[in-house]
Amino acid sequence: MNSPDNKKSILVLKDISLSFKGVKAITDISFNVYEGEICSVIGPNGAGKSSMLNVINGVYIPQEGTISFDGKEFTKMKPHSAAVMGIGRTFQNIALFSGMSVLDNIMSGRNLMMKANFWEHALNIGRAEKEELEHRQAVEEIIEFLGLQSIRKTPVASLAYGLQKRVELGRALAAKPKMLLLDEPMAGMTMEEKLDMSCFIQEINRNYGTTIVLIEHDMGVVMDISDHVVVLDYGKKIGDGAPDEVMNNQDVIDAYLGVSH
Amino acid sequence: MFYREAGKLVGSFGKDRRMLPLLEDRWLAVLFVAFMYFVVTAIASDYMFTAILIPIMVLGVATLGLNIAVGYTGQLSLGTAGFMCFGAFSAFNLILRIDWMTIPLAFFLSGMIAGGVGIIFGLPSLRIKGFYLIVSTLAAQFFAEWVFNAYPWFLNYTSSGVVSLPMHHYRVFPGQENTPFNAAFWYSSQGRYLVTLTVTILLVLACKNLVRSNTGRNWMAVRDMDIAAKVIGIPVAKTKLMAFFISTFYCGVAGAMYCYCYIGNLDFMIFNLRRSFLVMFMVIVGGLGSILGSFLGAIFVYAWPILITRGSDFIFGGGAIDTAFIENNSKIVVGTIIIVLLIREPGGFAALWSSSKQKLRVWPFAQ
Ligand SMILES: Nc1ncnc2c1ncn2[C@@H]1O[C@H](COP(=O)(O)OP(=O)(O)OP(=O)(O)O)[C@@H](O)[C@H]1O
Ligand SMILES: [Mg+2]
Repeated sequence: MNSPDNKKSILVLKDISLSFKGVKAITDISFNVYEGEICSVIGPNGAGKSSMLNVINGVYIPQEGTISFDGKEFTKMKPHSAAVMGIGRTFQNIALFSGMSVLDNIMSGRNLMMKANFWEHALNIGRAEKEELEHRQAVEEIIEFLGLQSIRKTPVASLAYGLQKRVELGRALAAKPKMLLLDEPMAGMTMEEKLDMSCFIQEINRNYGTTIVLIEHDMGVVMDISDHVVVLDYGKKIGDGAPDEVMNNQDVIDAYLGVSH
Repeated sequence: MFYREAGKLVGSFGKDRRMLPLLEDRWLAVLFVAFMYFVVTAIASDYMFTAILIPIMVLGVATLGLNIAVGYTGQLSLGTAGFMCFGAFSAFNLILRIDWMTIPLAFFLSGMIAGGVGIIFGLPSLRIKGFYLIVSTLAAQFFAEWVFNAYPWFLNYTSSGVVSLPMHHYRVFPGQENTPFNAAFWYSSQGRYLVTLTVTILLVLACKNLVRSNTGRNWMAVRDMDIAAKVIGIPVAKTKLMAFFISTFYCGVAGAMYCYCYIGNLDFMIFNLRRSFLVMFMVIVGGLGSILGSFLGAIFVYAWPILITRGSDFIFGGGAIDTAFIENNSKIVVGTIIIVLLIREPGGFAALWSSSKQKLRVWPFAQ
């Protein structure tokens, strides 16, 4: 699935460099993500993985380089236009709307599809009620898929960590994204929760054809579910290819064994 | 409690989305509204209308307005009284200068005008947050106090700075003069009470609709985590400005009602910074992000000092103790109660209400 010649790229990153006040987080990184694949981005702490996702959906603006998504090229991506084009996202530190219920969090994932204006909302006329019920139907399917039925009205702040991660996935999924960026969706989970989460990710990928870009530290999971692995270290790309290929790469082995640079 | 959610199944998403999902709650709401319209209108005294019921509703609407900005959208503001002032002056000038203007339309338009002002003073929120935003909303307060003082046209060149609102201003519907419901009725405390009650109910319903819609979710998303809101496609800037617009719309209508329904005259001096703080206080005591809380806050902060004063008059006999002494003491008592409440329940009265409801749900079994 990873061979560049027979697969269409959905995301092309070209020569991306990003620094914070002179501190380089990403140096000259290029790679492609192919349509319909699960691409894992791995690397030691501080390698620049999260920064890379932030560049892809416009949270950080790289000093150099271009991003093409779905055939459109950008030097500056904006979070809003990334969302409009179909890039969904979860965060390393859960970024749920803590004062809202599970249902409302996931419903908010569909905000781009809701067209009613605030007058219609205030009077509950026109498109307001109809839209709300239609989207509720779609959101209930996600709730069922993720097994969140019993907690749909619970405020997310009171949920366990693993469940919060699941709700965040649900919120991203609600927008029906073409590509999902998942920043360590399994970090800090129990073995069982990890297994559930990797099943969800694979099912989303298979059933909806959603391209997945995943940051993950657990090598077992990465080897298991990825079609394609990109390895970063100190802001540079040191490996890119099929999982087994990458794992036999000497640079990658060195980086993971902590050989000094 | 006599009724609970348990065993009450809803068969459709529409039913699940109701404002009050429980049948018993809906009946209570209907009974309460009917009571307010028919029983209270018939039996309450003038004192009750003008000193208790009307001001509580008016301040409750202002509190609800501020709560939309602060509690639902997380944008701190201390311009409330300034926005109320814009509403009050807009209503007065609309009714004064346009022959066919009626009170309901003037209230609506004054909300719109105040809302427009709110958008302007809300613009800094696109760049700054928290305490810094408070400072820029203070500008709205000082601007209002300055502009209505500097341009006497707004006060119709009244030299004293206070205009009392004449009876013929109370045009609730066109052609009112030829009906039994003439101006004298609407000028009476019953009439003003009915206007206030109706406007309040409509605004509460609209707010309830907003917060259970996409607009309300966007507000809360911006409040809770604006970066995540942006990433899922919520237009953060538009959401903030819309919250400011709707928030100041409510404050503007409250300002118009404050003059027309409560005190019966127009005066920019009453919309001072102290009143902004008072409304902020009501929001905090009532509970951030709660409609019910907005009114509980207004009731508590406004009405308790009155109740304590009247209560001590009743016990010790009116005039036996110096009124100023009682008033100051009642402030101390209320202040203490509020501090204790906020330490025990930072969510204010709204949280207290829902946690006691939760306790009653399982009563008499262990919690
Ligand atoms: N907003 C920021 N401001 C300043 N420096 C930043 C910022 N975000 C990231 N960095 C720096 O960029 C580098 C890469 O960080 P990044 O969060 O992308 O690493 P990561 O690979 O996701 O690490 P981890 O596995 O710990 O999540 C780090 O040195 C970090 O300190
Ligand atoms: Mg990271």
